[in-house]
Amino acid sequence: MYHYIVRRLAFGALTVIGVSIVVFFVLRVLPGDPLIALFGPEGFTKLSEADRAGYMAQLGLSDPLIVQYLHWVADIARGSLGHSFFRAESVAEMISRRGPLTAEIALISVALSWVVGIPVAIVSALRPNSVGDNISRFLSILFLAVPGFWFGMLIVLASLFWFGYRAPLAGASLLANPWDNLQIVIGPAVVLGLGQAAYIARMARSSLLEVIREDYVRTARAKGLNGRRVISLHALPNALLPVITLSGILLGFVLAGSIPVERAFGTPGLGYAMFTAVSERDVFVMQNLVFLYAVVFVMLNIAVDVTIAWLDPRIRYR
Amino acid sequence: MTAIEPETVYPIEQTSAAPETSLGRRAGRGLLRFVRRAPLSAFWGCIAAAILVMALTAPLIAPYEPLKSDFRHMTKPPAAPHYFGTDQIGRDTLSRVIYGSRASLTVAIGAVLFGTTLGSLWGLASGYFGGRFDIVSQRIIEFLQSFPDLILAMAIAMALGAGIGTVIVAIAITRIPFGGRVIRAVVLSLKEMSYVEAARGLGASHLRMMARHILPQCIAPYLILATTHLGVAIIIEASLGFLGVGIPAPTPTWVNMLADSLNAGLVPPWWLVLFPGCAITLTVLAFSLLGDGIRDMVDPRLRSAV
Repeated sequence: MYHYIVRRLAFGALTVIGVSIVVFFVLRVLPGDPLIALFGPEGFTKLSEADRAGYMAQLGLSDPLIVQYLHWVADIARGSLGHSFFRAESVAEMISRRGPLTAEIALISVALSWVVGIPVAIVSALRPNSVGDNISRFLSILFLAVPGFWFGMLIVLASLFWFGYRAPLAGASLLANPWDNLQIVIGPAVVLGLGQAAYIARMARSSLLEVIREDYVRTARAKGLNGRRVISLHALPNALLPVITLSGILLGFVLAGSIPVERAFGTPGLGYAMFTAVSERDVFVMQNLVFLYAVVFVMLNIAVDVTIAWLDPRIRYR
Repeated sequence: MTAIEPETVYPIEQTSAAPETSLGRRAGRGLLRFVRRAPLSAFWGCIAAAILVMALTAPLIAPYEPLKSDFRHMTKPPAAPHYFGTDQIGRDTLSRVIYGSRASLTVAIGAVLFGTTLGSLWGLASGYFGGRFDIVSQRIIEFLQSFPDLILAMAIAMALGAGIGTVIVAIAITRIPFGGRVIRAVVLSLKEMSYVEAARGLGASHLRMMARHILPQCIAPYLILATTHLGVAIIIEASLGFLGVGIPAPTPTWVNMLADSLNAGLVPPWWLVLFPGCAITLTVLAFSLLGDGIRDMVDPRLRSAV
């Protein structure tokens, strides 16, 4: 078990280093001068050669790429993550201010996906090919096909249209102002949660169907246990193992999916910051946020693998 | 066992005698079987085909030019001459929705043809050769999968600059790992089959083994993967466009219409939000249900793999 965790962590660390290199160099081949992004095309033409060189040096962009990369790594190690082109706060400050909102959205959406997805899957799997099963399967395919941000736009539009309601736009922290915070978070969380619930329901249904056919479940039935006990105590725990894996992977995808969804709702979270950075071509913020997302994604995958190994002796003793 | 008729002994000669007609007839029979056994999937297949036809014949069926402004009808809700309404500079929404199918389908088909195919061929080679090549390939694929696909596509699209070609490349790269993994798994199980061993025993070259004996078995999983990923590619294209790194503005695409509607004012007009979004959803739904149907018919065991 320890060997397994250590090996996973070592590979994860290698991946993170690789990710940082790829992120850095991919974003540095961006077409266009960063100074044009900073001053606008007009302001750029008014700058003299010397000014341009001065600004480039000040931003640390005139060093060789390797040196710039090492500076960035040092920044990450120090935890300051560099500065935005346009705003005074450092990227680290921005993450600590906006990150909690996105994290809340992600966690609520995961909880919601289980609350919705698992019961639907149980109902489906107990009566495969019944009317209820077909409806829930169609709904789950529908929710896979609906783009989350469009669903979000519809919710915003409908609540404005029919109730004249709009979620507060300014950020509100969970502790200082829980009611505003909930209003901000709930929309994106529902959209992302239902999207995940579709995956969860599909996976849990097929995995339950497989488990229900196994001998030990038949034994439990033959012992005379009632159906509910067999499902909840015998079949479900084993059927949920692949669902846990999927849910962990989906959590990583939710962080990415929240970028367009937060834009649709106007949520002042990390996803919206990513959108702003993309539209402003703000390379520093982009590279740090992409790196952060990738690191979180890698760590989540490791956490999922370790959890599964801990829960499932078949993997642990391999 | 002496009653084997001579025709069945040489099946290869038999099929190569009239390849076109027998292939056409076989495809026709397969299609008929598909309609009979999975009518619902066949229905969604028809919708997918209708969307494809709509994209191809857009200039013939669109009532207006997608880029032409009608300044007497600006931001008008759906009514007689403009059945889906008009946007804030008077462009007809119905025509733009019809033309929008071109961009989405071009990107999706391009990305899948390029990405899924490349990934599948890579998976074929890495599964077939195994060894060090396989290990390195697996690590590269795992690395590609250490980014969520939207983030990866976004970074690549930003790095390459806006345009339909870059969007295709960006999405294609995110499709490579899926092709690689699925086809590699198929190849690994095929390699153990005795007919493959027999071919090797007969002295077939690597290229011949892969092309004649392994590749044909990979076509079904490839088709399923490609159909399903058409839908995924459309969703990623839409998300990229919504974040402003998709196909640039004057081109009528569904997602550009959605993004434009956000800039139309405080409250986006509902018809500018509803219709393009429905178009995206319907297209993705059609492709994924068609993919599911093909999978269930060709090989139910692939249910969990793809």
